[in-house]
Amino acid sequence: MASTWYSAPAPVTRRVRAYLAPVNRATATPTLFDPSEQGGFSLDNPPAPWVSLGWIQDFNRKSGSRTSSVLSGIPAAPLEQVRETLQAQVSLQFLSWTKLTMALATGSQHMNLLVPASGASTSADGAPAVSAVSVQSGSTALFIMLAAADAAKFAPGSIVALDADYTGQTGFVGAPISGAYVRQALSDVDYIRRVTFNVALVSEVNSTGLILAEPLPGGAPVAGAKLQAVTGFVDREGGCFYQEWSALFVMQGSQGERIFFHYPRLQPMVSAEESSIPLSGKSPSGHARVQLKAQFLALPVTDPLDGERVLCYRSFLPAPNALV
Amino acid sequence: MQNAKDSFYMALRTRLVVINPERIILLRGTVRPGILVEEAEAPFSQTPSDVFLLRWHGLGIELNLASSMAAGECEILYQTCGTQTFGGLDRGRSLSEMDEELMAMLQPFYTPKLNYTASPPATMLTQVFWDEPALTPIATQRDQLSRSAKVVVYSYQEQGE
Repeated sequence: MASTWYSAPAPVTRRVRAYLAPVNRATATPTLFDPSEQGGFSLDNPPAPWVSLGWIQDFNRKSGSRTSSVLSGIPAAPLEQVRETLQAQVSLQFLSWTKLTMALATGSQHMNLLVPASGASTSADGAPAVSAVSVQSGSTALFIMLAAADAAKFAPGSIVALDADYTGQTGFVGAPISGAYVRQALSDVDYIRRVTFNVALVSEVNSTGLILAEPLPGGAPVAGAKLQAVTGFVDREGGCFYQEWSALFVMQGSQGERIFFHYPRLQPMVSAEESSIPLSGKSPSGHARVQLKAQFLALPVTDPLDGERVLCYRSFLPAPNALV
Repeated sequence: MQNAKDSFYMALRTRLVVINPERIILLRGTVRPGILVEEAEAPFSQTPSDVFLLRWHGLGIELNLASSMAAGECEILYQTCGTQTFGGLDRGRSLSEMDEELMAMLQPFYTPKLNYTASPPATMLTQVFWDEPALTPIATQRDQLSRSAKVVVYSYQEQGE
């Protein structure tokens, strides 16, 4: 009779893939990943609201948690162990520069450079912008409905940012992904669109609106959202805002097994840093790939299963037919 | 390792049919996809052009595992003189097309392992997987351009193998 199982050696993987999802900062609610329900997802099509960051390099997990012994007796001997501190860090390098990877690889706010108004005064993080246009109801994460006159202001290949006007509020701003924390009221009506993560490339323009090349990370625009064109992105060394994301790292094994590292709450912990990787080992001073380096601190969540505080969930879905 | 070698070849052949159905060869009176295993054919007096030729080289076994892992080195050779339509002046383009087809054939970098001595072929328990190819520089011999790519193919040995 043919065997129906085999003893699987340690997983063999080629690369690590990263995904992230928003944390609701106002309610401190992370996005949870359930490997039992969602573990079989297509790596190119993660379940909402997870957004793919592509393949990453030099993925490294480091636990800073410490335990200590409670000693008893003469001579003293360990009676039991207690967990003294709970800490974990993650570091990695992104293989692409996008709004999200750049934002994750900086320590503070990450801003969109809005297209400046004609004759606007210069500013290091973007001059006063061209007026925003109103987004009409019925828009989705991939199609932005606009009045015909407004749609004509954009062209395929434009980058656009969508979010609400800033109206003087304080606290976390940006929906549903918080892009900044406003400590005192500002005067820039475009401020939320400067920090929003709802950014995408326009692939087509027609008289009813814009078709986006990729879905908006935050999903369909919120009511009252407005749209502005973006020329690029900027971040700063400095600032006191800490972004926070739920993160998921996936290692796909050669036999179909999967290892998941799910950090419900990750905050970038170092300022922007890059590394240059020469394209050719024979020419170290030639062309080099500039990779974004990122390092994160894991924050705890309370697991409702048993009330334990945890930083990371490591899950393993074994290969088909492998002994467990 | 034979099942892994067969599975690797059949995976590439199946993928090639989709990628470029026009890459074919007439061999022993039969039209086949343009990919061959050298050791499974009669010796060639001259390596055929415009097809992929798989040549197996080294073999390594890792025994200190729950299931032994075999690694075989496969060299994929291909050459072209271009087309008669363009008098061979398109041989560089033809080789580039074969480069692209090879890259596409190799992805994804795994395939189910099948036992092709059974009829119909029996799906086994594990998958065959391989690394990115290491491509050699183009070799030029008169009007012929050739290149090869080396790929290490891995497989876990199952019961009965």
